[in-house]
Amino acid sequence: MIAVRGLAKSFGALRAVSDLDFDVRPGQVTSIIGPNGAGKSTVFNLIAGTIRPDAGRVELDGRDVTALAPHALAQLGLARSFQISNLFFGLTVLENVRLACQARAPRKRFLARLDRDRALADRARAILAEFGIADLADEPAADLSHGDQRRLEIAVCMASQPRVLLLDEPTQGMSPAETLAVDALIKSLAGRVSVLMIEHDVDLVMNISDHVIVLHQGQKLFEGPPAEVRNSSAVRAAYLGADHGAD
Amino acid sequence: MQAGALAQKFGGLRMARRGLRGGIVPLLFCLALAFPWVAGDFYVRLAIEAFLLGAIALSVDILLGCAGLLSLGQAMYFGLSAYLTALCYLHVTQSFWLVAAIVGAAVALVAALLGAVAIRAKGVYFALITFGVAEIAGKVVHNTRALGGSDGLIGIPVPSIGLPGIEIALRNDRVFYYVVLVAIALVFLGVTRILATPFGSVLSAIRDNASRVPYLGYNPFWYKFLAYLLAAEVAAVGGLFYPLLRGFVGPDLFGFEISTQSVVMALVGGVGTLIGPLVGGVMITFLQSVLGSFTERHLFVLGVIFILFVRFLPGGLFGLLRRGPPR
Repeated sequence: MIAVRGLAKSFGALRAVSDLDFDVRPGQVTSIIGPNGAGKSTVFNLIAGTIRPDAGRVELDGRDVTALAPHALAQLGLARSFQISNLFFGLTVLENVRLACQARAPRKRFLARLDRDRALADRARAILAEFGIADLADEPAADLSHGDQRRLEIAVCMASQPRVLLLDEPTQGMSPAETLAVDALIKSLAGRVSVLMIEHDVDLVMNISDHVIVLHQGQKLFEGPPAEVRNSSAVRAAYLGADHGAD
Repeated sequence: MQAGALAQKFGGLRMARRGLRGGIVPLLFCLALAFPWVAGDFYVRLAIEAFLLGAIALSVDILLGCAGLLSLGQAMYFGLSAYLTALCYLHVTQSFWLVAAIVGAAVALVAALLGAVAIRAKGVYFALITFGVAEIAGKVVHNTRALGGSDGLIGIPVPSIGLPGIEIALRNDRVFYYVVLVAIALVFLGVTRILATPFGSVLSAIRDNASRVPYLGYNPFWYKFLAYLLAAEVAAVGGLFYPLLRGFVGPDLFGFEISTQSVVMALVGGVGTLIGPLVGGVMITFLQSVLGSFTERHLFVLGVIFILFVRFLPGGLFGLLRRGPPR
């Protein structure tokens, strides 16, 4: 699905990411973990086209997409969420999702009256229902609770019918109960879409990931299924050890 | 229970606002239709000027209210259109439609070239580029003898508008008034219709949160570019009639004063409402005229109005009627 090869990026003297290789496999949830400053967000921004790498390449289904702009990547089926909710706060919840739906609508409808396009509105409402925020459809996105905004963030991503979904700390700032709900949500997405996730919540990662990549100081320290990551002494020493020494 | 009642109350308020908004445009149009029968010649001509300046304010609103781009140079398209119109009637043709086509094409060309550059600039730099280019254009015209220099072009003949089966002579002020009113109403309806499309919704997304738009798969450049072309053409409609009202054109038509005044008009009427800037255009033009008979410091008054609206009523008059949250 996604193949990252020899990816490198420096900010001045800081080598944020160096010589990174990994794959995101179809229909799986792949997670990147690592301590603060490990380069997780940089990897995300490199894949999503937000910033350009100094070296290396990103492939989407075998096609080199390294130099593509974010909008071109989105058209190829790559959607990303943001660590801090990044929505159209002045628009309603329905309008947020509809914008993502209509990005995939046929061009001939482009000068049709939007308020007469029932099919598009129905599709947007169906997605809101799926994410459990249908009753908030006409609220401005700014008025939603933090948890609902995080949900809407993922709903907007899924509305553009992506093949690959990049989730940047989907449970950031959530209560344990909300985290559990998102946990179930992401599990339900697996199979329909390939997920690449950055997450601080190690329990969540171990729970829902098929494959885990551990970053340390911009380099890949370890990768494998969650159980192997848990048992790796190198990972414990570098990262998990700090939090999970008692495990 | 309480929350439900509250929601119902606000729902009702929202409905009432929508109804008011739906009814207010036809009402204003009816008032405008009746105006020449109650007002004298001076005020009819002033109203024509107000509509034409209102077109620039509408043009500002397409960029600022719909796409979040502040242009300080929209008068350039007004001036460009006015000069081209004047030159065509003086030297080329007396056909209104041919002139309109020439002006439309020329404005599109200039807007495409400038837009392609200016749109790439972010925030305040877009305002600075539009301001700078408009100033340069004004100075070039001011210093070009063939264009009349600082005197401008005078003695512009007033044409008739040929329609199937009828010839509309613009010499009569009342007829001219109705022609301009219909033209501006058509522009308003056209712009409203264009912005009711998916294209318009992407523009509002750009205004709301431009950095998120690319990640949905839209290239913001093309949307801003098309909005810029549309805005230029709307300002050009004003310039298409202005020389016929005055009989002359001068380099001040490109100027900063008209550009900023149209921003004030848009703000007073309500940025993002489309009808607001037209109403603001009429109000400010009449106010300037009345003030001008008392004081030479009418620009000072304009400045005070600007500050008061920014401070106390940033949504403008029509912002009060708008459904949904303040933007």
